[in-house]
Amino acid sequence: MARRKSPTESDEVLLKKLETRLAGTLKPIQPSSEFVRSLRERIRIPAHEEIVSRFREWRRLFFVFGGVMSGLLLVITLARALFHLAGRKDGM
Amino acid sequence: MEFNEEEILARASEGDRDAFGQLYERYIDRIFNYVYYRTGNLHDAEDLTARVFQRAMNHIHNYTDRGVPFSAWLYRIAHNLVANWHRDRSRRQEISLEDMPVLPLKGEHPERNLVRSQEQEALLKLIRRLPPERQNLLILKFVENLSNAEIGKIMGRSEGAVKSLYHRTLLALRDQLGDEHINLDGD
Repeated sequence: MARRKSPTESDEVLLKKLETRLAGTLKPIQPSSEFVRSLRERIRIPAHEEIVSRFREWRRLFFVFGGVMSGLLLVITLARALFHLAGRKDGM
Repeated sequence: MEFNEEEILARASEGDRDAFGQLYERYIDRIFNYVYYRTGNLHDAEDLTARVFQRAMNHIHNYTDRGVPFSAWLYRIAHNLVANWHRDRSRRQEISLEDMPVLPLKGEHPERNLVRSQEQEALLKLIRRLPPERQNLLILKFVENLSNAEIGKIMGRSEGAVKSLYHRTLLALRDQLGDEHINLDGD
């Protein structure tokens, strides 16, 4: 059975040096403030697609359209009724 | 003011954009660093970091706390996007390390600085040849300064497994140092 070779002292020293080199190479860097700011704005404001998708809900759109048309019909009917009543009075 | 992540997460998952904004402020640097060291250039790092947070925002209502930190969830998204990026890249061309800045150390002789930069570039090249899991481990350990226990939570491994993986990673790097003409005796 193969036995696992234990690291020698020089191996340990080499690994320590490698760790030091890694720490010197893999340093945290700061993203540009312009990038952070613009992404923050994109996150806080709903995306264009999201706004568009809200309008794509056909059911809501149908109710809005139906409501507007019903309202218009009511206004026209009332206007015609008033006009008719006013016309009768004038003719008497 | 204390940062109560649990409460902020709950608000964010209900669609509160300000709450998500607080999570963004907390994790932007970490995710950016992770993506930067996995890709090797600033432009792609910015693009992918933006995609990580947009994807996180669109799916945060699906996030459930199962004892795994929120950062692990973000790193998972970042890992998947970076993996896709590498796959797309490998179809087109080899990754260039030219725009990977190597930070010079203060007070060093310019010539020594140049040698060090070249060696750091070579070391980064070696790191990028490691399997993704080992790259993640080195980034979390050295860039994020996380402990083995914290790394274990993010990577879904035990502390002992992380320690063992770290040791094997160092040995693998040591064995390849000669190929890239990296001399550690200069330290």
